[in-house]
Amino acid sequence: MALVTRISSDGKIVTVDISGRFDFSMHQEFRQVYEQDPGGITQYIINLHQTEYMDSSALGMLLLLREHAGGDRANIKIVHCQPEVKKILTIANFQHLFCLD
Amino acid sequence: MIAPVVPHNSAASSAPFTVLIADDDRINRMVLHAMLQKDGHTVYVAENGQEAVTLFEQHQPDLVLMDVMMPYMDGYEATSRIKALTGERFVPVIFLTAMTDAQALVHCVECGGDDFLHKPYKHAILKAKIAAMERVRQLYATLQSQKNALASHHRRLQREYEVAEKLFSTIVHPGCLDAPHLKYLLSPMAIFNGDILLAARKPSGGLHIMLGDFTGHGLPAAVGAMPVADIFYAMTAKGYAISDIVAEANQKLKAILPTGVFCAAALLDLDATYSQLTIWNGGLPDVLVRQPSGGTLRRLRSQHLPLGVVDNTRLDRSVEVIELMPGERIYAYTDGVIEASAPTGEMFSQPRLEVYLTQDCAPEQVFETICDGLTAFRAGGPQRDDLTLIEITCDAGLANHPSTEATISSVAKAPACWHMALALDAMTLRTLDPLPQIMQMLMALQGLHAHRERLYTILAELFANALEHGLLGLDSELKHTPQGFVAYYTAREQSLAALEHGWINIALTHTAVGPAGQLTLRIEDSGPGFDYQRCPRDLAANTTHSGRGIPLVRALCQALTYHGVGNCVEAVYVWSQEETDVSQHTS
Repeated sequence: MALVTRISSDGKIVTVDISGRFDFSMHQEFRQVYEQDPGGITQYIINLHQTEYMDSSALGMLLLLREHAGGDRANIKIVHCQPEVKKILTIANFQHLFCLD
Repeated sequence: MIAPVVPHNSAASSAPFTVLIADDDRINRMVLHAMLQKDGHTVYVAENGQEAVTLFEQHQPDLVLMDVMMPYMDGYEATSRIKALTGERFVPVIFLTAMTDAQALVHCVECGGDDFLHKPYKHAILKAKIAAMERVRQLYATLQSQKNALASHHRRLQREYEVAEKLFSTIVHPGCLDAPHLKYLLSPMAIFNGDILLAARKPSGGLHIMLGDFTGHGLPAAVGAMPVADIFYAMTAKGYAISDIVAEANQKLKAILPTGVFCAAALLDLDATYSQLTIWNGGLPDVLVRQPSGGTLRRLRSQHLPLGVVDNTRLDRSVEVIELMPGERIYAYTDGVIEASAPTGEMFSQPRLEVYLTQDCAPEQVFETICDGLTAFRAGGPQRDDLTLIEITCDAGLANHPSTEATISSVAKAPACWHMALALDAMTLRTLDPLPQIMQMLMALQGLHAHRERLYTILAELFANALEHGLLGLDSELKHTPQGFVAYYTAREQSLAALEHGWINIALTHTAVGPAGQLTLRIEDSGPGFDYQRCPRDLAANTTHSGRGIPLVRALCQALTYHGVGNCVEAVYVWSQEETDVSQHTS
């Protein structure tokens, strides 16, 4: 699976592991992550350790998640980025909107 | 009571249609005719093949029952001709024949027949065959009408696309991209380009360039380009700074684009002498500056979020300013360039692009070398994203060639008498650039479009002096070194944001002097003034980048005088109708 979602035992933290290419083809799966939110989720952790590449539609998906999770109040961490992926996030200056490790 | 059971006859339940019978035997014809007529069908009869073809042409029947052996023209020949006449319709031909020889039956199908039945036959069997053929015919007709609907839909869409494309390219036009100091590569992957590249001359001379990359590609990406292009060209023509254009475009895109769609963009502002670059980069890869001799590249990184992501209250409009040397070349590109992929899936990449920029190569060949390199690298592989690259050569000589753009056709209004005064306090100066508004008023009152660039330069230089030296107390000596140049603009930004006291008064007075008009521009600031006697008077003798302002203004107007302690300056600009017309034709 290119996208795996895990929920903490208290149901508050959702961790999403994305492997391979994070691009438009992942749109449907990624949407389900936040559309299936039963309520009570306080934090999203996006783990990009296995992500080789991301394009601008992936950036768009992150913005959609952010909006769904409360916009400026959203608590979203993007962790373990590979240098290339980190670069794409920094070029877009997403450190202003997300917590990048 | 029990209702009588009516047997369902599928053959009789189908709508009546038209049948052509071809048989040279009178009895056969009569029997078939009677049977079909009883079922409600319309029947035409032919005594030979020749007559069958003629009747077919006249009545276009839905089904043909064909005998093989007939005088004048046999059933094979008649069937071939009839099939040639059906066009896109499917008209089944059933052979009714006494022949049982396999070769003859194969021949029935070869010349276009769809089925055959041996004589003598049972009527029930013939009816069943006719019903089966009718089902096939109807299926074919449905398919055909769907195919036609699809084709006409496709044609309509194509036409709409063409109109939209025309509209799109009129609004998102390339401006002055044809100038000799600009080279660019645009490679959209669909009809509509999700990348935009716009260029426009500023009223003060110099150039604005915008390169943008919308999320995705094709039509959805291109829609956002239209308002952006509109804003870019309109605001540049009115003399707005790129940070104002950034704010306006961001606000528009934030309002219209759905979340998740945005525009990574860089706006570049080159001054009239091509010695200074002001840039706002939000989300595009590093803009690179190459020295004429190659070597280390200067890098202008993305400092901001792309356009359309956050609203204007959170937008950072701050720009970077760098000094340019003659012959330097600026390269801006979208991620389609560095992510262009080889058939192996490998990407062109940032390092590879930079190798092309730093390697030993004649400066005027660099752009072509990159384009060739890209084509060779992709090796005909599929394009995944729109791809745009632009090169700007810092050469004021090349840049200021006569413009090929349409000149403004409006004519200056007859010289009138009017006075306009503006008093700006510290708070206003912190938040507002008054120049575009003043220029608009000036154009509305007097229509001096042909003089716009000169008037803007005079106004802009004198206003900048009043603000930067009079109120903010900045020392232009700072600008003498590249480091100081950046420091100067950083200091300007900080001091302006912290400005608490002070004022600038601007007064414009216009009078008629015979057929000519005279505009007097007076700018006074609350600063301590300066020793204007020491100011250089000769433009040519001054090759540094600072201190060009006053000699330049002096060269553009009839008179420039300082008053008081040097905190008040007055410029007189005289124009005449003839001169206006001449400038319009040559500009």
